[in-house]
Amino acid sequence: MRILNILVIAALVIAASYVYKIKFDSTLQAERVAKLRHELRRERDAVAGLRAEWAKLQAPMRIQGLAERHLKLKSAVSTQLANFDNLPMRPAPAPPQDDPIASMIVPGAPQETTGSISRPGAPR
Amino acid sequence: MTAIGFTAPAKKTTESRWQRVVRTLLYGANVDRNVKAKARLGLAIIVFVAVYGIIAGKLIMFALISEGHGGRRSVAQDAVATARPDIVDRHGSIIATDVKMPSLFAEPRRLIDVDEATELLTAVLPDLDARELRERLASGRGFVWLKREITATQQREIHRLGLPGIGFLTENKRVYPNGPVVSHQIGHVNVDNQGIAGIEKWLDGQGLAALHMAGLATDRLQKPVELALDLRVQFALRDELAKAREKFSAKAAAGLMLNVNTGEIVAMASEPDYDPNNPREANDPTRINRLTTGVYEMGSTFKALTIAMGLDSGRMGLNTTFDARLPLRYGKFTINDYHAQRRVLSIPEIFTYSSNIGTARLALSLGVDYHKAFLRKMGQLDRLRTELPESSEPIVPKRWGELNTVTIAFGHGLSVAPLQAVMGVAATLNGGLLIPPTFLKRSEDEARAMAKQVIKPETSIKMRYLMRLNAEIGSAKTANVDGYYIGGKTGTAEKVVNGRYSKTKLLTDFMAVLPADKPQYLLLIMLDEPQASKETHGYATAGWNAAPTAAKVIARVAPLLDIAPRFDLPNAEQSILVSNRVAR
Repeated sequence: MRILNILVIAALVIAASYVYKIKFDSTLQAERVAKLRHELRRERDAVAGLRAEWAKLQAPMRIQGLAERHLKLKSAVSTQLANFDNLPMRPAPAPPQDDPIASMIVPGAPQETTGSISRPGAPR
Repeated sequence: MTAIGFTAPAKKTTESRWQRVVRTLLYGANVDRNVKAKARLGLAIIVFVAVYGIIAGKLIMFALISEGHGGRRSVAQDAVATARPDIVDRHGSIIATDVKMPSLFAEPRRLIDVDEATELLTAVLPDLDARELRERLASGRGFVWLKREITATQQREIHRLGLPGIGFLTENKRVYPNGPVVSHQIGHVNVDNQGIAGIEKWLDGQGLAALHMAGLATDRLQKPVELALDLRVQFALRDELAKAREKFSAKAAAGLMLNVNTGEIVAMASEPDYDPNNPREANDPTRINRLTTGVYEMGSTFKALTIAMGLDSGRMGLNTTFDARLPLRYGKFTINDYHAQRRVLSIPEIFTYSSNIGTARLALSLGVDYHKAFLRKMGQLDRLRTELPESSEPIVPKRWGELNTVTIAFGHGLSVAPLQAVMGVAATLNGGLLIPPTFLKRSEDEARAMAKQVIKPETSIKMRYLMRLNAEIGSAKTANVDGYYIGGKTGTAEKVVNGRYSKTKLLTDFMAVLPADKPQYLLLIMLDEPQASKETHGYATAGWNAAPTAAKVIARVAPLLDIAPRFDLPNAEQSILVSNRVAR
């Protein structure tokens, strides 16, 4: 009988401490959730603020004002628009010309190289 | 006492007289002490159970309420000006959004030194009125607003002052990054973030207000509202309208671009407008939205409806002619033509010369009732309701006689909201579907589901032909843009001043369809009292101001709307009538 009592008491103590631990953990988790939620909200608000600012910066009215002040561009007209079907075929590459001066300086230099600046896209 | 109690049983027999006296005084004369003890024990048990019960109950209450309490406090922090969903245009650019802003408040009862607080606060916020601030702080109330919407730096500085009884609440502030560019559609909100005009008010009507009441609309609402509006088109339209208004010294300029196949309003501007960030301007009556709130006699653009009625009646074709040799006399009124030809005109000629006599005769030949029924079918006689809360009823003559039919045939005597006229004309061009216009994004299928077939598709093709023809040989020539196959109809209405038609105060408008052979968009340009100038050779009619403005808008807007320029297209007859195999 006494052993049973002791066992029950021990079980009680263990259960109580376990419940306490769970409660403690859950409080901790809840706090973390609250904190994260708060952070999330703050970030979201910050994002919204930045998006609003971005929208303000890229507002067409502002862009046009800047373009008129700083650029010498004119608005495009319909004749400047074309689609790919209307583009002519790419012309055939011009036959390599004999460049006597270049071959004198660098014997066997590739023809597309002029001076020190290579043609854009050509390997240096 | 205890000593007596414990020792008493042992000395029961030898209890002295003195002791008995004490016992009688303590417990009463003849009480059974066993019964008494049991009763006391019971009482003690009950008291303890009650006390612990209360404690346990209280604990449970704390456990349950503490969470709710915390939650409520955080809600109170944000609920002052509740959140609204973002509003974006059809490509996702932000038109309206919420930004969190701190607001300054005070609890005067908790203030210690009013003078010091006043001094320090006015140092940080110089635009606060010191006397008013002192009054508020000394009021002894529980809560007063000091300043709504302060900046983050000001908040930091005030926080550093360390004043007791001064605090901040974050509030949602509605901002419109595009300022006045999108004003009339979007409307605006008041300081408590409640919509009071335009789409913002419509949003409140969609259940947002109820959410506010319930205190639920506190956090950022995730789903943005998508408008049909294209911000870039809107800007281009508004910009050109502003230029036109200045160039022709007009009182006002308004423009609207409608997708004829979906009923979406892609752009709508009415100059002068206002900045929704500063809604006070909106109360100025000259800044109303002329396209939905105002009603106007649309002038010759209304002839498009009259001629569509004629062609759709089945009683006439494009070759039918009407006598326009003599002015039409009707009682004391004489109807004359602006570009009088003095001969018999066919329907395309009536349209391109904009013959009042011809359209009037056409309408008369069908009768008053037919005319009225047709206009009702086209939605011109009833109030047009869109998402915008502001709308106005067309002014329809109370007794509609033959004279009314004569004048309404060429656009006088019936005042409609311009948006309404655009809806009607769009129906004559898009294959005969009357689609209620909307400010929200809508797909073609949705539009078709709610559309009503009001005229025959063949009539619609003939109308496209007439519109294009007018841009080739008629009054819409000035609206031509290289590469865009536009069609259009001009309209010049004389304004009614003191009950009479004024010869000098005109309302000019122009409707352009783009492209005419396969309509996608309908553009309306409207100028209120444009002035003649040297550049317009002394004319103030629509062909000289509204139509060129439309051309400028189309040149800017067509690339944005994915309309590819096409060159060397055949004339109207070839490209529209012959290719669709429509008999004349």
